[in-house]
Amino acid sequence: MTAAEVDPLRARLEVYIGTPMGPPAVAPDPVNLPMIRHWVDALDDRNPVYLDEAVAAATRFGGIVAPPAMLQTWSMARPRIEGIAERGGSPVEMTQDNPILALDEAGYVGTLATNSELEFMRYLRLGDLLQLTTEVESISEFKTTSLGKGYFVTWVTTYTCAEDEVVGRQRFRIFKFDPSTIEASE
Amino acid sequence: MTHVPGESRPGGEIGVGDVLPLFELPVTPTRIVAGAIASRDFMPAHHDADFAKAQGAPDIFMNILTTNGYVARFITDWAGPEAMLHKLVIRLGVPAIPGQPLRFTGQVTEAREEGEERVIEVAIRVANGLGDHATGTVVVSLPAG
Repeated sequence: MTAAEVDPLRARLEVYIGTPMGPPAVAPDPVNLPMIRHWVDALDDRNPVYLDEAVAAATRFGGIVAPPAMLQTWSMARPRIEGIAERGGSPVEMTQDNPILALDEAGYVGTLATNSELEFMRYLRLGDLLQLTTEVESISEFKTTSLGKGYFVTWVTTYTCAEDEVVGRQRFRIFKFDPSTIEASE
Repeated sequence: MTHVPGESRPGGEIGVGDVLPLFELPVTPTRIVAGAIASRDFMPAHHDADFAKAQGAPDIFMNILTTNGYVARFITDWAGPEAMLHKLVIRLGVPAIPGQPLRFTGQVTEAREEGEERVIEVAIRVANGLGDHATGTVVVSLPAG
């Protein structure tokens, strides 16, 4: 496709840019010790600030904090296991304000995560209840890559605690591609 | 300067060019599944090999939360419990799959004082036999000390 040609799908995707992707969400549980312990054991991470109150209290954190990379874990949607494979692995049904749904329906069912940018304003403490909002930041023009043809979609999730304090942010980019175009582009 | 494991590295001793100790992680189905479930990621590609292969992947593969978690651990295992991560930016490449150990390498690319803090940027690379799994930058601070 040349730049001069009109891309009707890309034109339809334009409306999603700068708009929320899914409703604001609240974490099912506040930051808590059992989930931290589960994570620490799964990753063999022995940093004492995550579990040892005495050590953590003597650090700049002043007490136990959650591993920063758990940010997204706290607010992940509670999954509906029934039908998860049929939904392509999505834990819940996607809402209509999601460009990924539109791309799936247009045949760009392949998904490859390409970039993750996490930003931490402060570490989370026990009892913090996370809320999040997600906004579509950009959708690329139609691209041909070694993985096939499709579109890059970038969104930004902002994590807040009580009083609208921003505690973290994640920018995430995926490539949505048509799997039947993989060989064609090689 | 010798560093005592479990103690925080004095920020003032860290300089540009410092190389982080190599971290080698054997990747097994157990590690991939443990990380996925601990991060509450039930996407079948992270625990169901048939599902992963049907999607074109060679096997189950590590989820991004787990990759980020190991990168964070790689940094704090080196810097110690006083370290605070500010940014963790990665570009994703080949999947992390069973039987392909991950090698975490890193080097300090910037170190500056900001008030009482030493702010350090580390260029990181996580690779296996297939290529680069993740490359990027971590920004971490320590008390300047």
